[in-house]
Amino acid sequence: MIWTAALILICLIGAYAYYRQLKYGLVVTNMRDYVSWGIYISNFVFFVAISLVGSLITAIFRLANVKWATPLTRIAEIIAVSAIVFASLIIIVDMGRPERMLYLFLHGRIQSPIMWDVIVIGTYFFISLLLLYLPLLPDLKILIQFKEKTSKALNKLYRFQGSFWKGTADQLKISKKSITLLCIVIIPVAFCIHTVTSWLFATTYRPGWDSTNFGAYFISGAFLVGAGGVVVAMYIFRRFYRLEKYITEKHFEKMGRVVVMLALLYLYFNVNEYLVPAFKMKKPEEAHLTQLFTGEFASLFWFAILIGMILPILILLFKKGRRPLPMFIAGMMVVVGAWFKRYLIVTPTLLHPFLPMQDVPESYHHYFPSWEEWAIAMGSMAGVLLVITFFARIYPIIPIQETISEQHEKDEEK
Amino acid sequence: MKKNKFSFLLLPLVFALLTNPLAAQEDSVVAKELVKLKYFNDNNGVQFLILENSLKTGKKIEPLNNKVFQLYLDSNKTENFIATVTTDKTGKAKSFLPPSLKAAWEASPLHKFIAVATGKEEETAAELEILKSKIKIDTAIEEGTRRITVQVMKYENSEWVPANEVEMKVGIQRMGGILSAGDEETYTTDSSGTVNVELTKDSLPGDEKGNMVLVAKVEDNDQYGNLLVQKTVPWGVALKTDNSFFDQRTLWTTRFRAPVWLLFMAYSITIGVWGTIIYLVLQIIRIKRIGTAAS
Repeated sequence: MIWTAALILICLIGAYAYYRQLKYGLVVTNMRDYVSWGIYISNFVFFVAISLVGSLITAIFRLANVKWATPLTRIAEIIAVSAIVFASLIIIVDMGRPERMLYLFLHGRIQSPIMWDVIVIGTYFFISLLLLYLPLLPDLKILIQFKEKTSKALNKLYRFQGSFWKGTADQLKISKKSITLLCIVIIPVAFCIHTVTSWLFATTYRPGWDSTNFGAYFISGAFLVGAGGVVVAMYIFRRFYRLEKYITEKHFEKMGRVVVMLALLYLYFNVNEYLVPAFKMKKPEEAHLTQLFTGEFASLFWFAILIGMILPILILLFKKGRRPLPMFIAGMMVVVGAWFKRYLIVTPTLLHPFLPMQDVPESYHHYFPSWEEWAIAMGSMAGVLLVITFFARIYPIIPIQETISEQHEKDEEK
Repeated sequence: MKKNKFSFLLLPLVFALLTNPLAAQEDSVVAKELVKLKYFNDNNGVQFLILENSLKTGKKIEPLNNKVFQLYLDSNKTENFIATVTTDKTGKAKSFLPPSLKAAWEASPLHKFIAVATGKEEETAAELEILKSKIKIDTAIEEGTRRITVQVMKYENSEWVPANEVEMKVGIQRMGGILSAGDEETYTTDSSGTVNVELTKDSLPGDEKGNMVLVAKVEDNDQYGNLLVQKTVPWGVALKTDNSFFDQRTLWTTRFRAPVWLLFMAYSITIGVWGTIIYLVLQIIRIKRIGTAAS
């Protein structure tokens, strides 16, 4: 209750800050002529990144016949759906004039990566929603059967959504085929969503963004933060819903291996992204890189590298580190580090244009978000958590039918 | 407490830190305010003055902003007042010669411009002596050779006489400056006050009619100041604006002219993925029908 109330309060503060932004305009933010993409876009990239976990845990693991991940699929999918919803919303917030969103469809140019992003985000949302819904159908049948344990309103909702599921052979066959098809489709779409997001930056000739490697760099980072997010959610759900029987230490051990592999991969891409330009130290890149390595953003940069990658790797490399609590801590580090990493990708570049900043007020040379920006960003994060919270209170966070079937298959194999 | 017998070794270090020679030198550098006047005469018509005000500290020169000066012609009397000017952030201020001083200007071949700083009226901030002069540009085509003739005249003993030994640039006005008409960077007038230059550069782009602007410019001459004369001649190649790319399908045109390959890729991906989504929704409807029939 306290958790939900706190999230609602943060959302309300965010809504008030947005009301102020609508009333007074984007001037309430600290974004100016140079930094026109601030904390909102950092948050957008973060949400898009974390949403990719749906395709990793659900689709890639499912197609690769990785059975142990089955109890985690719904956690991953709800994270994906809620994150992608708020990624879309935060873009509208960044636009300043929300009614102009319509212009994007009326006058949008297919040549623009922004248009591709709009299309691919919408598509990914629908596929994720289907991937959340289809495996939920057998569980809805179970929930309807135990109507005495749920409220009348919830039972009505379950009936509306899944009363037609009888578990017949034909239904099972169609459902299984559809889920497999969804898993196949969602992988390229997921790759597209984050590659296109990376192209929003990489197609712009700016220090720090001018990279041919950005798509792979973003996707590896997205898988890492998504897996980190799942680990955090696993720990919280396991502890507060007493799911020790379903989310076991073995799940943490295996997810730990996944996270450490992804962290190493992302670290490798980071070395590529920073070492190669730093080795050449081209004049326009120099100001940007020195600001990151030793300048204004140095503490944030090294914090993101250490907390987001190196420390989690050091924790998770060891078997003891892959136990639930250390895994939770490492997962939190990955998520927090990833958020700051997105901020570092977006903002410092904008402060280092190719042409010198001249005849502009002093405030244009720096960027630190205003309270409205912080409130809206935190509100959107609280919104993501609120969607997950409500979902977990209404639906089973562990796929009941699938987990039981897997268990039966395993027992039969024995 | 036992005294460290080697502590005296730190003394040179302490001494070196306390007696920073650079700091001492910096303190001794005297800042000097510089005020400079420049006279300009464009096309023998527009006459104006530019005042430059800066602060010289060592080798560093910084422009002084928002400084106010009074400009006078020949003497700092009210009737010879030209204008009050204020320097901008580049340390410069500009003033035209007012029509009220026409008689005073024509009265003498030699004139002195005086700048007086506000608040320091008793002293002259800067002076500039100028000998009245005019500059003329002419062109001719002789056997296919394009020639530019520039003549500088000075006003002496109530008549215009040629001004020799005047260095100038002769060329074509381009966006970034003056492109020399011949092979030399600058030319100097002969005893007849004339410079003859052959335009050696062919096929230079002009405007839409093929016109280009010839320029003769005397810069910071001790006697005559800055003189400029221009003449438009149809010696350039007529510029034809290429608008053909507006009709092409490119990544930077309007949405109605997107490249076909992009449209093909975007639409085929969108149709493929959304086709699958629609198919899956239909599968859910099928599941629903099967369930309804079974119950």
